[in-house]
Amino acid sequence: MTTATAPTAVPTTTKNPLSATGGGVINRRRGRIATVIMAVLAVVWLFPLLWALYNSFREYSYTQTNGYLSFGGWTLDNYKDAWDRGNFGLHLKNSLLITIPAVVLTLFLSSLVAFVLARFSYRFNLTLLGVFLAANLLPPQALLIPVFKMFREIPLPTFMSESGTMLNSFWALILVNTAFQLGFCTFVLSNYMKTLPHEIYESAELDGASVWRQYWQLTMPLVRPALAALATLQVTWIYNEFFWATVLISRGDKYPVTSALNNLRGQFFSDTNLVAAGSIIVALPVLVVFFALQKQFVSGLTLGSTKG
Amino acid sequence: MARPAPRESHLAGTLPASVGGFGRRSLLRGALGVGALGAAGMLTACGDDGGSGSGASAKAGNVKFGINEAKGSGPANERLQAMADAYAKKAGVTVSVNAVDHNTFQESITTYLQGSPDDVFTWFAGYRMAQFAEGGQIADVSDVWPLDGIGDAFKKASTAADGKQYFVPVSYYPWAVFHRKSVFEKNGWTQPTTMDELTELMKEMQGKKMTPFAFAAKDAWAPMGTFDILNMRLNGFDFHMALTKGEKTWDSPEVRNVFSTWKTLLPYHQENSLGRTWQEAATSMAKGECGMYLLGTFVVDGVPTEAQEDLDFFTFPALDQTIGADALDAPIDGFCVASGAQDEEAGKAFITWLASAEAADAANNSASAPFIAANSAASTAKYGELQKKSVEVVQNAKSIAQFLDRDTNADLANTVITASLQEFIKKPDSIDSITTSIQQQAKSILG
Repeated sequence: MTTATAPTAVPTTTKNPLSATGGGVINRRRGRIATVIMAVLAVVWLFPLLWALYNSFREYSYTQTNGYLSFGGWTLDNYKDAWDRGNFGLHLKNSLLITIPAVVLTLFLSSLVAFVLARFSYRFNLTLLGVFLAANLLPPQALLIPVFKMFREIPLPTFMSESGTMLNSFWALILVNTAFQLGFCTFVLSNYMKTLPHEIYESAELDGASVWRQYWQLTMPLVRPALAALATLQVTWIYNEFFWATVLISRGDKYPVTSALNNLRGQFFSDTNLVAAGSIIVALPVLVVFFALQKQFVSGLTLGSTKG
Repeated sequence: MARPAPRESHLAGTLPASVGGFGRRSLLRGALGVGALGAAGMLTACGDDGGSGSGASAKAGNVKFGINEAKGSGPANERLQAMADAYAKKAGVTVSVNAVDHNTFQESITTYLQGSPDDVFTWFAGYRMAQFAEGGQIADVSDVWPLDGIGDAFKKASTAADGKQYFVPVSYYPWAVFHRKSVFEKNGWTQPTTMDELTELMKEMQGKKMTPFAFAAKDAWAPMGTFDILNMRLNGFDFHMALTKGEKTWDSPEVRNVFSTWKTLLPYHQENSLGRTWQEAATSMAKGECGMYLLGTFVVDGVPTEAQEDLDFFTFPALDQTIGADALDAPIDGFCVASGAQDEEAGKAFITWLASAEAADAANNSASAPFIAANSAASTAKYGELQKKSVEVVQNAKSIAQFLDRDTNADLANTVITASLQEFIKKPDSIDSITTSIQQQAKSILG
């Protein structure tokens, strides 16, 4: 989460609305104070990241003898070692195989629910939305044991899972991530869909469009901004997910990249510079997704906040 | 999961023999035991003759092998992988290795064992093994014992509360007081053999503006080493075992005595230890800022290469002449067979071989750094100076403890004792309230 939050602080400082108004002296002074406060906050957020980045380029033996406040001992080996020792190629692939299906499935299922909740008025609409949201409030840790025991009892054919059960399979992680993200996505999407003008649906109805067609060909294109924003958020969240992977997977070669980061720690000894390099590698895909889709991300933060 | 059998056998174990009777089951087990003995003998005896060591009970077969070292993580993984490869070649079977990093493996052991465990997996001797034996998650492997070259102390550490073995040892590492040879030579110091000599040495070090003991408590388990050694020197090994099993209380005068002795030694330890990792403490010893460091042999990983050759160690001297200095912490690593294993017999055949000198040699010959083999017949050719000395020290020790967090309930060790030791380091004057609080929590955890 720190990776996602830190950069958002930066654009806020430059695009400060108060200083941009160019109003009276008080406004300008207030703007300056706000800028200073936000700059300080940004530094506080960014400092650990930059510190890790800085030390990831230094040799452990150098920092060990000279301390972390020193300057020197430059090397790129940490990145190479981290890549090899962490076996990140394999684990990034695992993460990809979990994240993409989970995000697609979450968005598809939640848009279906959201469409019904937004467009049709049943008596249980509000209750249904409430149930979806309530599930969001449950901490996943509280569900650890039931989910684990349930998955242990669900058989899968061996071509889907070597263990013969849901445990130790990507299916389990895709399913569990989808389930946990569904509530939030449904909430956001149904609020967004409610903002679409009702008249469009009336004319669609007159033209004889079926409910499916109203959903797939009318609503989905119109909620694309919301879907893009949610996709960005979901990719970062599911990619960063660590808890379920460690609980449901016990085979070293099946871990997603976040759990595989532990491969860089030994039983007793851990080379912190190496771990820093590994963390940067692991954080990189999230940063790429974030910077590429920054606009959607920021709009995603305020999504659905105007109507609900 | 169907686990009635182990539970039943556990209950049977607690009953006196006269009550438990000589059921069909125990008779059968006896018969199996005889078979396994033969098999074990054959396995070790018939060298290269691949796979013929399969007796009636422990029949070699394909095994799944769960190891607690991630692939590519260093010598520990290389050794385990080498053993798996050597066995696969020798017995003509497939060994599929599941490598998980050490900490994750340990932290998720409960879900691992209840989920889909591998047939054989790496684990620790002592209470940590015994509590799974009691819970029925690991299989009774007493029929593979006795093992050639594995001594009585190891057998004791592999035995659970019901008197049966659930574990085979492969390696160990002792805890001792480490120091740099060159620093001692330069100052004309010798290794102390009595507490008086140690005190004198510590005072002399302070005179030279050197902190006698490097000390770190940020890794919360690290101070347990100090507690253990003081406890075993003041109250003896038997007290240590009784205390960790909950038979003695934490607020007893004996434990308070440990803390008050520790309190008198604290001024000789590095200050602000709560913010220091053991690696940093090891570094300060390597740099000569501190004279000595009480830690496991893994301390070598924490010092720069040039200091590694320069390390030497001695065991902590006796504090009470009637108790002596013949006990020490030397945690044992080894293997268990999961009771949910798909092929328990193949698993047993595999661990029988894993405990052999041949397995230890296979591991040490193909890894960049050796372990200290539990098997006394294993070759010591690859050992460094420190390891040769470790073997000697451990062989001379009369009793071997597994380390506080391996000898007692994991919840008690990791949540209660760690925090309490840190509290003590922060406030050495509140021994009474700390020991009382540990005891209250120990009572509720151990029942």
